[in-house]
Amino acid sequence: MGRRQRIVKTGMVVLLCFFAIFYVFPYVWMMAMSLKPDGEIYTVNIFPQEPTLEQYKRLAFGYQFGPEYNLQYKYGAYYRNTIIVTVCSLVLVLFFDALAAYTFAKFKFRGKTVLFWTMIGTMMLPIYATIIPTFWLFSKLHLVNTYQAIILPAVVDAYGIFLLKQYMETIPDELLDAAKVDGAGAFRRFWQIVLPLSRPALGTLAIFRFIFVWNDYLFPLVMLRQESMYTLTIGIAQMQMRQGMVVWGVQMAASVLATVPVIILVMVMQRQFISGLMAGAFKA
Amino acid sequence: MTVADISQPRREATWSRLWEKLTPYVYLSPFFLGFLAFMLIPIAFSLFLSLAQWDGMRPLQFIGLQNFIDLFSDKRFWNAFRVTMIITVTCTIVGPAGSLFLAVLLDKVGERIAGWLRAIFFLPSVTSAVVITYIWKQLYSADYGYFNAFLQQHGLPVQEWLKNPKLVVPAIMVMLIWAGLGWDALIFSAGLKTIPEDLYDQAKIDGAGDWAEFWHVTFPLLRPTLLFVLVTSVIFLLGIFAQIQLMTDGGPMHASETLSLYLYTSGFQYHKFGYASAIAVVLTIMMVVGSWLNFRFVRLEV
Repeated sequence: MGRRQRIVKTGMVVLLCFFAIFYVFPYVWMMAMSLKPDGEIYTVNIFPQEPTLEQYKRLAFGYQFGPEYNLQYKYGAYYRNTIIVTVCSLVLVLFFDALAAYTFAKFKFRGKTVLFWTMIGTMMLPIYATIIPTFWLFSKLHLVNTYQAIILPAVVDAYGIFLLKQYMETIPDELLDAAKVDGAGAFRRFWQIVLPLSRPALGTLAIFRFIFVWNDYLFPLVMLRQESMYTLTIGIAQMQMRQGMVVWGVQMAASVLATVPVIILVMVMQRQFISGLMAGAFKA
Repeated sequence: MTVADISQPRREATWSRLWEKLTPYVYLSPFFLGFLAFMLIPIAFSLFLSLAQWDGMRPLQFIGLQNFIDLFSDKRFWNAFRVTMIITVTCTIVGPAGSLFLAVLLDKVGERIAGWLRAIFFLPSVTSAVVITYIWKQLYSADYGYFNAFLQQHGLPVQEWLKNPKLVVPAIMVMLIWAGLGWDALIFSAGLKTIPEDLYDQAKIDGAGDWAEFWHVTFPLLRPTLLFVLVTSVIFLLGIFAQIQLMTDGGPMHASETLSLYLYTSGFQYHKFGYASAIAVVLTIMMVVGSWLNFRFVRLEV
């Protein structure tokens, strides 16, 4: 590589790193604010002079900002609710999507094309087309403000089925035919052959669904009514409106704790996540 | 051996063949039930609701196209339409352009550095819109925000980023572009990797400079990827909700109110479910038209 080219390349690296530093500033700011004592919250310093865990403590134990005023946060409940909703959605989505994808990939039956393309068609529609009637449905079933109201609609996931079907189609039919000859029923072929072989695609789907459900705002906003049922997103949003006061420090602490699990997950499953994203962009 | 014994295996065979025929339907039924309950029926009901007047409690009244007539003479609707279009068009042009540039740069630096950088740029895509919006809301805050404190420190005039009707939409757009950069860049990176090396080598032999190389080799082959990015951008931007509601709730005085926010307010605050459904229909049509326009614009002929 010529000298000029090397200089240009180094220049680009420097430029990109510089840009990355500015780019990541909002996150640095969030972490910094969560560690700043009240006196420093509104200062220009990027890093706290006297870092403290006060904001986090307030999140856990309540905020005493006057002799009679003790503000309690139900953060633990928010976390618990989010975990329950996310894990349940994930399990259901993975199982039913895989089953449906398996059916589309490996079976021939009447109405297959119609059903498949209807499903694809709905992928394009925004959630606004369905949210009002879905709310009304749950309202009639007295299921508003429950976990079911958020978990069940999340299970209808056309993208996931599409992704899994593409992947499952690459599983050689001979493998399944051999199993059939050996006497394995359709479900056993699914459970013991197709599922294990689809692990990469399932992993990718799991990550995407996790991120989506964990961070979802509109659905919980519409369906949940009681503070004890809130998910993290709604809970953090509500923190702004408390007593007309904006408690930035606590809110940032809450945000940090809500964001960390997702970041850890993505870092751990990084390669899978990125390859899945790229593959998905391809097929589309 | 009686006749009954001989017919027994045949009956079992019939049952198992019947089961085989039914299996796909059985396996699809959970998904299908959900699909029916949470997709097809709601969509149909939405369409129906858009032709009716309903507040969720009093009986439903069918009023035909009146909602749409009211909608198209509603100033607030057109304001929301304008805001939504500004945000969508601007961010769809600037965002992917920036992401493409970023992806091309990342492609030219070493793979290890690129990997780390991509992870950094990707952070907003895995962060909740709520968290992102609140961080930026603080940064933009007129009295307590970092941006204004920074300006003040350097003797520059302080701005009311979120209270000034002229600044509020650009302020939101900056945040949106920032948030979307990494995701699109990653998709472009994937697309870039599919371009065969020999094409670049050939271009170099032919004496093509960097810009010519980009325009004649990279860009044409990225058309499908570009189309994907544009379409997903348009659909996403037409429907953004959390960011607007939490940043400004449509303020000041509806200066930043989008169609999605107006839809939510009409339905869940004013309880005008029919009217809100009409907005939903309009928004859906906009998304379909938007996608189609992108298909025409990018013209997949290579």
